[in-house]
Amino acid sequence: MATAAPPAPTKIRGVQPLRAGVGHSFFWRRLHSLSGIVPIGAFLIEHIVSNYETMNGPLAYAQQVKFLNALPLVRVLEWGLIFIPLAFHALYGVFIAFRGRVNVDVYPWAGNYAYVMQRVTGLIAFAYIIQHIWRQRFAGVSLPENPAMAFHKVQVELANPWMLAIYVIAMIATTWHFAYGIWLFAAKWGITPGDRARRRSGYVCTAFGAALCVMGLLSIYAVAFKPEYRNAPIPNMSSQPAGVVEPAPTSVTPGTTNPTQPGEVR
Amino acid sequence: MASRTIQVEIKRQSTPDHSSVTEKFEVPYRPNMNITSLLGEIALNPTTVDGKATTPITYDSNCLEEICGSCAMLINGKARMACSALVDKLEQPIKLAPLSKFPVVRDLAVDRSVLFENLKKVKAWVPIDGTYDLGSGPRQFPQLQEELYPLSNCISCTICMEVCPQFNDATGFVGAATIAQVKLFNDNPTGRVLKEERLRALAGDGGIQECGYAQNCVAACPKQLPLTEAISDVGRDVVIQQVKDFFVR
Ligand code: SF4
Ligand code: FES
Repeated sequence: MATAAPPAPTKIRGVQPLRAGVGHSFFWRRLHSLSGIVPIGAFLIEHIVSNYETMNGPLAYAQQVKFLNALPLVRVLEWGLIFIPLAFHALYGVFIAFRGRVNVDVYPWAGNYAYVMQRVTGLIAFAYIIQHIWRQRFAGVSLPENPAMAFHKVQVELANPWMLAIYVIAMIATTWHFAYGIWLFAAKWGITPGDRARRRSGYVCTAFGAALCVMGLLSIYAVAFKPEYRNAPIPNMSSQPAGVVEPAPTSVTPGTTNPTQPGEVR
Repeated sequence: MASRTIQVEIKRQSTPDHSSVTEKFEVPYRPNMNITSLLGEIALNPTTVDGKATTPITYDSNCLEEICGSCAMLINGKARMACSALVDKLEQPIKLAPLSKFPVVRDLAVDRSVLFENLKKVKAWVPIDGTYDLGSGPRQFPQLQEELYPLSNCISCTICMEVCPQFNDATGFVGAATIAQVKLFNDNPTGRVLKEERLRALAGDGGIQECGYAQNCVAACPKQLPLTEAISDVGRDVVIQQVKDFFVR
C-alpha cells in the first residue's frame, strides 16, 4: 500500500490467493452443478416429453396433465423437486454469472463463447421461467384442477406473436443450457477428463440437446399452428379434481394415447 | 527498403500507483526480432516518435527462450511470452501492455506473486526434508513419467490465469496452473503423501469449483500443458475427498 515502505508481509494487491480449506463455496457450487442435472434437468426432460403429447391433440395433452397431477404427493414433488431447486439454481446461477469477467472480444475461442453462452442462456431461461410459472401455473385457470383446459390455455398464450417468439427463443436457450450443462458436468466432475472423451461427450450432448429442442419446438408448433387443433374444443373432462378418476367411458375417445383403456390413464 | 521501421505503442506506468500513459516508438527494422529484442532496441535509444527523451521500458525477462516464464505481457491485446513472440509475425503498430489482472510494478513488469502464494497453499512440492537420510525415492515407471512430464513443463508464466474469465478480484480463483501442479504432485509417488491436504486446500474459497471451463487456459498456455484434463481429474478427486471427509472425518 505505502509507496516506499520496506517489503512487509502485507495483504498483496490484485487477485487474492486461494483461501485453502476455508469456506463453503465448493459445496454450493457443486450443488448448483448437480441440481442442474437432477432434479431440474430430469424435470425438463419430463416437461418436454409431456408437452410432446400436444402433437396428439387437446385430449391427449389433458390426460398427460391429469396423470402428472394425480401423482402421489404431487405438491410435495412440485415444490421439493422443481420450485425450490429451480430457485436455488437460478439465483446462484445469476450470482455466478456476474462474477465472471468476459473476454471473448480478446480471446474469441469456441470454449470461451460457450462459457458466455451458458451465462446468457441461463439468464434468458431465468427471465422466461419466472413469467412462465406465473402465467401458466399460478395465474388464470388452474390446470391441476382443470387439466382439460391445458391445451387451450397454452393456445391462447401462443396466439400472441410476441409470446410465441419468447417461447421459441426460450426453448432454444433452455435446451442449449441443459445440453451444455451436461457436458460441463461431465467435464468438471472428472467423468470425461481426456480430450477425446470430452469431444465425444460433446457429440452426445449436442444430439441430445437438439432432440429435446426439436421436440419442444414441435410441441409449440402443434399448439400454435397445427391446422386440426386450431379452435379445438375443450375436451370433455373438465372440473375433475386431480387424482379422482371417474368411471371410464366405454367408447374409445378419438385421439387418445391409450385406446385399450379409454379415459383411464393409470 | 532502407528506412523500414517497426511501430510500437507501449502502455507505461512509472510506479504501482501512477496512472498509465501510452508512448509510441519507431525502431529501425531488422529481420527475426522478438519482443524482448525490440524492447532492448528501445533501451539503446529511449526516444519516442515525437523525439522526446524517455526512460527505457521496464519488463521482466531472463532466459529469452520461453523457459523461465517471466516475460508474459499483452502483445496486441493477447497474453503471450515476449521472447517467443516474433515481430515479423505481428501486426503493426505492435501494442504492448502489462498483464491486466496483476498489479503493475512498473511499465510491463507485474507482480505475479499470487501464483507462488497459491502453489504454497496447495503444497506443490515433494516433501523430502527429514532429520535423517530418507534414502532414494520409490521407483517411477516410465508410463507414469510420461503422464507427468507434460505437467512438469509449467513455467509459472501466469498466462493461463490472465486469460481465464473466472480469474478476477470477485472470485479469487486459484487458476489452472496451480491445479495442474496439484495433479503433478499428487501423482508423484513421494508427493502423494500430501494428496489429501492438497485436495482439501483446493476445496476452499477460490478453489477448483470456480472453474467455468471456458478452456482459455489450455488454448493460451505457451507450454501446452493438458490443463483442462488436469482440472477434470483433480475436480473428481476433490469431490471424492470432500465426500469421504464428510462421512469419515
Ligand atoms: S500452466 Fe501454462 S499458462 Fe499456466 S503458468 Fe504454467 S506454463 Fe504458464
Ligand atoms: S524470457 Fe524467459 S520465458 Fe521469456
